[in-house]
Amino acid sequence: MGSLSEYRESDVKRRILPDETTDMALFVRTSDEDMSFWNRQRIVDALVKEACVDMAMVEEISKEVQEQIIASKISVITSPLIRELVNARLIEKGLEKARKMHTRLGVPLYDVDQFILHPNKENANVPHGPEATNLTLAENIKKEYALLSVFSQSIGDAHMRGDIHLHDLGFIDRPYCSGQSLEYIKKFGLNLPNALSIAKPAKHPEVLLAHMVKFAAALQSNFAGAIGWDAVNLFFAPYLVDLSDREIKQLAQMLIFEFSQQAVARGGQAIFSDINLYWEVPKHFEDVPAIGPGGKFTGKNYEDYASEAQKFVWALFEIYKEGDGTGRPFFFPKPLVHITEKFFKTDGHEEFLNHICDVAADKGNTYFVFDRGGTAKISECCRLSFKLEDQDLADAKQPWKMRYSALQNVTLNLPRLGYVSDKDDSVLFSKISDLMELAVQAHIEKKLFIEKLLAHGDKSPLSLLTMKKDGVPYLRMHRVTYLIGMLGLNELVHIHTGEELHESKKALKFGLKVISQMDLLSKKLSKKYDMRFVLEQTPAESTAYRFARLDLKYHSPQSGHYVKGDISRGETYYTNSTYFAVSSEMNPIDRVIKEGLFHPRIEAGSLTHVWLGEAKPSKESLANFVIKTFRESLNDQIAFSPEFTNCLSCGKTSRGLKDDCPCCGAKEVEGITRITGYFTKISSWNKGKKGELRDRYRNQGFFGNK
Amino acid sequence: MGKVKVFVKDGCHKCPSAKEVGAVLKKEGLEVLYYDMDTVDGLAEASYYGILSTPTLIVEDRDENTLADFRGVVPTPQQIKEVLHR
Repeated sequence: MGSLSEYRESDVKRRILPDETTDMALFVRTSDEDMSFWNRQRIVDALVKEACVDMAMVEEISKEVQEQIIASKISVITSPLIRELVNARLIEKGLEKARKMHTRLGVPLYDVDQFILHPNKENANVPHGPEATNLTLAENIKKEYALLSVFSQSIGDAHMRGDIHLHDLGFIDRPYCSGQSLEYIKKFGLNLPNALSIAKPAKHPEVLLAHMVKFAAALQSNFAGAIGWDAVNLFFAPYLVDLSDREIKQLAQMLIFEFSQQAVARGGQAIFSDINLYWEVPKHFEDVPAIGPGGKFTGKNYEDYASEAQKFVWALFEIYKEGDGTGRPFFFPKPLVHITEKFFKTDGHEEFLNHICDVAADKGNTYFVFDRGGTAKISECCRLSFKLEDQDLADAKQPWKMRYSALQNVTLNLPRLGYVSDKDDSVLFSKISDLMELAVQAHIEKKLFIEKLLAHGDKSPLSLLTMKKDGVPYLRMHRVTYLIGMLGLNELVHIHTGEELHESKKALKFGLKVISQMDLLSKKLSKKYDMRFVLEQTPAESTAYRFARLDLKYHSPQSGHYVKGDISRGETYYTNSTYFAVSSEMNPIDRVIKEGLFHPRIEAGSLTHVWLGEAKPSKESLANFVIKTFRESLNDQIAFSPEFTNCLSCGKTSRGLKDDCPCCGAKEVEGITRITGYFTKISSWNKGKKGELRDRYRNQGFFGNK
Repeated sequence: MGKVKVFVKDGCHKCPSAKEVGAVLKKEGLEVLYYDMDTVDGLAEASYYGILSTPTLIVEDRDENTLADFRGVVPTPQQIKEVLHR
């Protein structure tokens, strides 16, 4: 980074190029952290090297800038300031392209002050501290780089205007998220590029856990979003033979604490980790040869380890039920339990369903993922999942091959299309198509950039993803998906039809029509570009707030009637993805069924939240609800979200969001609940999410309390 | 009288038979609507009924309450008439 001061010193030996007649005795503080004498040639070199400007023009500009500096009698000069003076000249001379190439990326002093002093509210998973500040600063520069250098002007402008949102721009040099199998490290050990030491396949369960956590941290450094693990309890099972229940519970406790306390991954945040769990042995793993200690095949198939797998998943939920040292819910790893037809045919499923519903009612951790019919999925992120197709099921015979990734997520601002379509269907649907094409273009540009990085092989910054332990790169580019998210369908329908999704059959059908068009278009575009574009329910932790703010700026006064939240407090937002308004007082089963109508169209995964507030339903009533959801709806995934107050004084955790501690009366309390796809402290939420929290309709009476 | 909604898709082997059933019912004066799930309107209507397989026939009364549905199977015209006359 460049430093701030630079000064003229009359007693400094003059250092003037032969053709100069100026009295230049300036030192320039450069970005290389040294102090150089003024040297006009530096401008010349930079313009030639970076901006490809012809020599005559370079000479002219550099002399003009030198004259300007002399005439200004400037006493403080830095290389960034010189660069901007040069850029001003480039603009004056109509050399816009050269100016762009000569851009300096950086952060204003004021902003750095703010970053260091105040928490980052864009991602509630990032704690506030020096490491987080480093992350925020780096992210800001990479965001600028992405918008200037990776994406074309039209894509960058569409993002800046808020027509679309390019997610995780600050992580432009990584894919979005990934799902994988423990089998990879069980078979190959922990043998990562650039590692100081290499570990052979684990012989003991604790070592396997250590490898898993370290590999997850390494992966988090190479992906922007979540790190998902498939069938964790099943793949641990061969290591658990002959272990006592106590030992298995100890391992479960280690796993959850290791992931929940692993706050060193990136900017001091926890690894965003999802563990997929099964009560039954999934059909596609039944006859797969099991890998055990030392990375050796045990001679048995996974169906022979059902008992160990069940003991482990049971123990994991015992730990979730207990919560952390103060009884708070664990924020990570998120447990996703797959409910399948086979689940209901497997012995003990009633007790297990009650067990995980007990955790859902008490702590809210459990995600119920519904794999109906022959569908099999691996889930990750807030709701992202990959449906396993024929090739994947063939790969399941060698599960270490099962590695999935989404390269990027681009979300469309649907309400804005409503403002500009003037209730005309044909205009609206034509604009949706245009925006989808724009999203596709953004994906193509990111793909080219990532491919450029990967092309360096083991010298690539993404060398972890190019390693070929099984003969093919860890990141299987030919299998990646490209996500197209949507935000504010409810508000678009409100603008276009005059009613919100929950208010009439007509409004609901219109919403389905919008998403059907997006679904058909994504398939058509996939064929056209030979890339797999799929719809996703964007979690939109910050995008819901960003789009609402931008629409209040660019589409007022109309937007003022449709944006949700409290405009006077600045707590505004749009409803996430295809959700119904969070404030609508719907019966939760009605919400699950109706929101579920959209889920078959959203291939990359969907979720319905059931906000519980203070209510603590019985495990039996939640179990009935889960069974009903599986049998009577098309809903992909549900989660129950209670609210908690954690006392910073006495340390106790109580139910509901309170202003003071019900145990000791202290005012120093912290609210905790689910922000989008994960639990976190409310104090770290952005204003939009705080507005949404005020509006959430809690299903306090529906289930009845325990 | 109610109406019958017939959902079909390209490449579906049983769909031509479902269309024939629809044609028979139409000839007899019933209101029959066809939806192609490869089109936006067809897919949207199918989504509303949670249809995942074709052909599907939905039988509704005049107030659009569903009386019966036949998913992935082709009923006879007689079966549909029985539902409507129940």
